[in-house]
Amino acid sequence: MVKAISTPLRIAVVIFVVLTAIFLLAPLVVVVGVSLSESQFIAFPPSSLSLRWYEQVLSSDSYVSAAWISLRVAILVTLTATLVGGAAAIAIHRRKLPFSGSLATFFLSPLVLPTIIYAIGMLMLWSAVFGPVSIVTLWLSHTVITIPYVVRTTLAVLSESNPFLEEAAQTMGANRLQRLWLVVVPQCRPGLVAGAFFAFNISFDEAVLALFLRKPGLTTLPVQIYGQLEFSPDPSVAAVSTIMIGLTIALILIIDRLLGVQKFASS
Amino acid sequence: MSDRAENTLLVLPGLLLLALAFFVPITQMLVLSVSGENGPTLDHFTRFLGDPYYLNVLWRTVRLSLIITVICAAVGFPLAYIMARVGPRLRLWLIVLVILPLMTSVVVRTFGWMVLLSRSGLVPQVLRDLGLAERNFSIMQTELAIVIGMVQVLLPFMTLSILGVVTRIDRRLEEAARTMGCTFMQTLRTVVFPLAVPGIVAGSLLVFTLSASSFVTPNLLGGSRIQVLAASIYRSVTQTLDWPFAAAQAVILFAGILLILVPYARLAGGRSNG
Repeated sequence: MVKAISTPLRIAVVIFVVLTAIFLLAPLVVVVGVSLSESQFIAFPPSSLSLRWYEQVLSSDSYVSAAWISLRVAILVTLTATLVGGAAAIAIHRRKLPFSGSLATFFLSPLVLPTIIYAIGMLMLWSAVFGPVSIVTLWLSHTVITIPYVVRTTLAVLSESNPFLEEAAQTMGANRLQRLWLVVVPQCRPGLVAGAFFAFNISFDEAVLALFLRKPGLTTLPVQIYGQLEFSPDPSVAAVSTIMIGLTIALILIIDRLLGVQKFASS
Repeated sequence: MSDRAENTLLVLPGLLLLALAFFVPITQMLVLSVSGENGPTLDHFTRFLGDPYYLNVLWRTVRLSLIITVICAAVGFPLAYIMARVGPRLRLWLIVLVILPLMTSVVVRTFGWMVLLSRSGLVPQVLRDLGLAERNFSIMQTELAIVIGMVQVLLPFMTLSILGVVTRIDRRLEEAARTMGCTFMQTLRTVVFPLAVPGIVAGSLLVFTLSASSFVTPNLLGGSRIQVLAASIYRSVTQTLDWPFAAAQAVILFAGILLILVPYARLAGGRSNG
């Protein structure tokens, strides 16, 4: 196939891919560049290099506490979304419950609704019932929007798994809990792992719910960055952003080790 | 314990969580959008639809979202096709190229564009050096800035949606077309493109929805004068504290999205699994 492509076309393809790559990566490269700048002002390319903005970020109370909140929320969300979503996916996959088909749609529905609409609803309900928002509000709402990812990745893995293993285990005398824990859960593992990474990544980077459900003392890292960008961005914002990009790269590397990025991309 | 009980037990926590923390909040929002001081009212809706300022915001939202969707599709289709047809090593790099921005926070990526597009930034500077722009030229605080930033944010969604469909196209179909005398471009147009339509539709639905409902990038790149609907909702919630009006705008946003998406999905032959 590829051999039959004419040379001009091939050159056009190369140019297209290079331009798209520049377009997609430019903002990230620029952020990293600015974070290494010595200057007081945001400038790219930086005129001289230094790590002073990283020092500033690590000694800044507001950034450190925001990072701590983001991390706590993301870990809680990852645990609950994987547990709740994984369990639901197993039950949905067995198709033994009434309305199994609509159950899948039900669990994927948070994907369809724009987050901003859900964010308003959550803020209004929480204020009406419980009063001021708290870390629990953020935890619950991030869990809601990440459950669909876990359900989807787990269902995808289960649909390719051997359905007779569970029956075989039953014939050989495994009880319900043993079957679930020793047969079904290991079958789900790649889906659960992929879902967990999605959940962590989405919760840690999410800005919309976090912006609506914020209050003094409940500021996640993306909200802190957004606030800085609205008023007085200095290179310290770039340093925090670079740390977040670094975390994303680390996540992608881990995913590639565990599952292979290609598989992850297709789910 | 029966099978039924076991499965119910597995599905119940998620069912309760989504019912209480997803469907109840949305219902609450719907109720609030029609509630006034003296019982139910449609005042918030008539206020929005009767005000040229808000109609202009709505029109801008629809227009920009359409432009962003079209550009994403025009770039995403060839990119996805190339990804599907190159060797495994290069494909891996291209997938990383698409996933890395996708998994990076929108706030961070928008910041990158703020630096690039600002008056002293790289893009206006290059344009000035090339003699394509005047000295005071700036892209920040324009609709163009919003489009550039949003296309970068949403292109990965489009590309992955199309890639999922294109990888499943049987290569032998293309070879057959070539053997029977089609040029490469003819094959692309008459064989690959029609088969990729479900992916393009799914990607467009996703990109349009995400684009119409986002406010972080438009707010930071477009500034407060160029408002889109989602930004106006955010302002009503956080600045003017007019929650019923915010709820009404959210309902209008969702109704608007459905109004455009449903006929489009129908037209293109139903919603595909993307």
